[in-house]
Amino acid sequence: MKIGAFEELVLLAVGSLGENAYGVAVKELLADKTGKIPSIGALHSALYRLEDKGCLLSSEGGATSERGGRRKKFYLLTAAGRNTLVEVNRLRIEFSKNIEGLNLSLDES
Amino acid sequence: MNPEKRFHVASPPRWVDRILQWFCAEEVIETLQGDLHELHRKRAQSHSKFKADFYFILEVLDVCRLFALKRKSRSNSNYTAMFKNYFKVAWRNLFKYKMYSSLKIGGFAIGISAFLLISLFVKDELSYDKNYKNGHRIYRVLNVSSDPSDPGKGTAFPAEIAAVIRDNFPEVEKAGRIIPYPGWWDSGNNQFRREDQKQNTYEEGFAYLDQDLLEILEIPMVYGDRTRALEKPNSMVISKSKADKYFPGEDPVGQTIILNEDESTPFLIGGVMEDFHTNAHLQFDFFITLTGKEFWPGEQTNWCCWNYNPYLLVKEGTDPGDLEDKLLLIRDNFIVKYALEQGDKRAEETKQYFSLELQPVSDIHLKSADIHDAVTRGDIRIVWLFVAIAGFVLLLGCINFINLSTAKSANRAKEVGLRKVVGSRRWHLVQQFLSESMMFSAISVIIGLLLAWIMLPFFNLLSGKILFIPWMAYWFAPLILIFIMFIGLLAGLYPSLYLSAFRPIDVLKGSLSQGSKSSKLRAAMVIFQFTTSIVLIVGAFMVHRQMDFILNKKLGFDKEQVLMIQGTNTLGDKLPVFKDELLTLSQVQNASVSDYLPVTGTKRDGNSFWKDGRSKMDEGINAQRWYVDGDYIDTMGIKLLEGRGFSDMASDSSAIIINQTMVKKLKLENPVGAKIMNWQTWNVIGVIEDFHFQSMKKEEIGALSLVRGNFGSVLSVKLRTIDMVGTMQSVNSVWEEFMPNQHIRYTFLDDNFTQMYGDVKRTANVFTAFSVLAIIVASLGLFGLSAFMVEQRGKEISIRKVLGASFQVIFQILTLNFLKMIVISLVIAVPLGYLIMEEWLAGFKYRIPIGWEVFAIAGIMVLFIAMATVSYESIRAAVVNPTKGLRSD
Repeated sequence: MKIGAFEELVLLAVGSLGENAYGVAVKELLADKTGKIPSIGALHSALYRLEDKGCLLSSEGGATSERGGRRKKFYLLTAAGRNTLVEVNRLRIEFSKNIEGLNLSLDES
Repeated sequence: MNPEKRFHVASPPRWVDRILQWFCAEEVIETLQGDLHELHRKRAQSHSKFKADFYFILEVLDVCRLFALKRKSRSNSNYTAMFKNYFKVAWRNLFKYKMYSSLKIGGFAIGISAFLLISLFVKDELSYDKNYKNGHRIYRVLNVSSDPSDPGKGTAFPAEIAAVIRDNFPEVEKAGRIIPYPGWWDSGNNQFRREDQKQNTYEEGFAYLDQDLLEILEIPMVYGDRTRALEKPNSMVISKSKADKYFPGEDPVGQTIILNEDESTPFLIGGVMEDFHTNAHLQFDFFITLTGKEFWPGEQTNWCCWNYNPYLLVKEGTDPGDLEDKLLLIRDNFIVKYALEQGDKRAEETKQYFSLELQPVSDIHLKSADIHDAVTRGDIRIVWLFVAIAGFVLLLGCINFINLSTAKSANRAKEVGLRKVVGSRRWHLVQQFLSESMMFSAISVIIGLLLAWIMLPFFNLLSGKILFIPWMAYWFAPLILIFIMFIGLLAGLYPSLYLSAFRPIDVLKGSLSQGSKSSKLRAAMVIFQFTTSIVLIVGAFMVHRQMDFILNKKLGFDKEQVLMIQGTNTLGDKLPVFKDELLTLSQVQNASVSDYLPVTGTKRDGNSFWKDGRSKMDEGINAQRWYVDGDYIDTMGIKLLEGRGFSDMASDSSAIIINQTMVKKLKLENPVGAKIMNWQTWNVIGVIEDFHFQSMKKEEIGALSLVRGNFGSVLSVKLRTIDMVGTMQSVNSVWEEFMPNQHIRYTFLDDNFTQMYGDVKRTANVFTAFSVLAIIVASLGLFGLSAFMVEQRGKEISIRKVLGASFQVIFQILTLNFLKMIVISLVIAVPLGYLIMEEWLAGFKYRIPIGWEVFAIAGIMVLFIAMATVSYESIRAAVVNPTKGLRSD
């Protein structure tokens, strides 16, 4: 499964938000963690892509007045999504071993 | 509370919301809009309404991404699926009814290929002289005479014309002249050699030209400077192909050329021009400069003799009509003045009848039918005639398609009914049948293109052109596509409307009688097809007959077995000896030296004649004066009616022989012994019978006189032999003795004669070719219809046979209907063909009458072809075992 760097971040954010992962929440978490505010367009585009790739599952929640009567869409990390994150991380660590003086595993830091 | 208030205030701007709803797809808008609104509210609370709105707009713009946009096509997938289905059904039908399909496509393809070929021809004809940068400012000057006794337009003017125009009319930028007349000194053809070589070669395509005309006609140069190439006296410009022939691989500018062994006036090459494009009205290989040229003392300023064709380049914005009016100054100040000086009584009349006209250069090729000039050109009428014929052949192909489609409609009726029952609208069915006809037209156009490609070499032979299909041109593929659509629409519109109109209830109940509707229309179309075919066949016959008539008419001279040895002027003093030597050959009956021959491309010499002593009183008559030697009359087989021919007597230097027309025009009662004059006095010693010395298309036999001369570049030799090869060898060996450095060059008088009527011959050939195509297409259609009718009446025929009908009766039943149609076509075609041919023949001075037998032959031919076509299926039906037809139900 190939995913891009931004998609990876979105996947991580959805995973860490647990059951409360919907558009605005993901956006705020990403803004908080990375310091960059992603646009809603970019975020939704990535969410749809990840759903197509099978990394995310979605379900619709209830409508609230503060959202102009529109419903929320909640996302859940799937097993495939998890595997993809593991795979991406493994690749990263494997590469880092080839680079002298660079150690990416957290436990030895 | 404040937050409460803000809560209400802070909704995003409505118009931005609307935009979002407009472009966003239904399935993403829900959560997207929700997220955007939530964000907006948060921003409005934490910052300000203005900032929140601003970010909202930015975010909405950012949402314009692929995932969010509405997908139009998705809702139309049904549409493409239907088209797929239409084509599938069309394709299956194509193979299910192979015979009808091939008839439709065959007729179509033939019509299309004919149309394509003619289009190429017309495109070429229309492309003449269109490529000048300043084309809209280039004009040819014409002299126009409206004198009722001698009307006409010409291109020739006295020598000074260009200088006078240049000096007097500031709106003229450049004026230049050309002398294109073969036989005018070195104009026409010459023996050509490099100064440093001995071998002479015969070359054609010489003309005298002004330096200015080189620039006016924007003649592209390979070597040398266009603005100076003809500047020096005795300079010459030659074409690229001739430069490559005589100076391969070098720049010939500055080299010296000798013409006709005349070493006293060598010519200097001042430049090399690109070969003339085939679609230029002028076609020359050698231009000799007119700079410093004077053909006789005072010639350049004398207004006596009209031999120069002037062209003008006018300044931008000049109105040709205004300039034409101003040019009348030339008439009054020069032409009339000269006539007055000469004591011409008709000088004042000139003012009344004479005018000048400016003809745009791009009109010269096609719009000069009424102009007397020295240019080989096309005729706009022939172009339109060809267009009409091609259009008709194409139309015949379309009619086949329409007829066969509607005739076979019963096969599709059930399909139409069913489609309507399951929800097709009429428009859908029209679409279906149109796409089907598009498919047919596409297949036919492709086959037609291939056919055209195969037939192109033959068509080039017929039309006398070098055409090719511009496969690679950027406009070709789109044009063919448009053509396919156009033809598809033309042929498919009626059948599609017809077929789609079936009512499902009738069709599915089976009460629709098969193809019976519109049989009258079908009959009308068949009649149209055969009328066209008959007219074309009549046309082809008439054109051929007119050709034969001209070529075999009693001409007044004998064109058979006359060999014309060209280029004998280079023999110089040895010419009489050469002639005597030839006469010793047993196969040679007679020989004569003269440049004046009764075929085009030889010399002509117009003169005014009067009865002796009346030149100041009477109007002169215009007559040819030909220089011939003493053997001319015998060699040409011209009949001497009175008096005698030339003898060697010294007094014959002022002897003249005239033809009957001249006797009549001069009103001589006792011609032999009479005295007549032009600028000298002549004694008439004989009268000859009129003979045709001009094309019989336009002119009647004019007045003609023969005077004594022993010079010329053509030696005509009358032969009496059946062994042409052996004779030519003997003649050649005599020639080699005299002129080892120059190849013998000869033509036959009858060949030259035939060439005079080349365009008539081409018209005849094209007519024949297209009438054959038309009858093929029409027959294909008729064959299809007869097959259909036999199929439809199969049961009826079987029952009749069972009840005892004979073969003849069945045959009659099946063919009578078609016979009627052919007879009606004939009735329409006869007057139509008569009118058209009468119109065409009116262009000939000597023409055949239109006889009824032509129509009879054409009618019988068409009848025979049509009956043969219809009979095939009819006979098959008449002899088949009736059980076969009745077994099926």
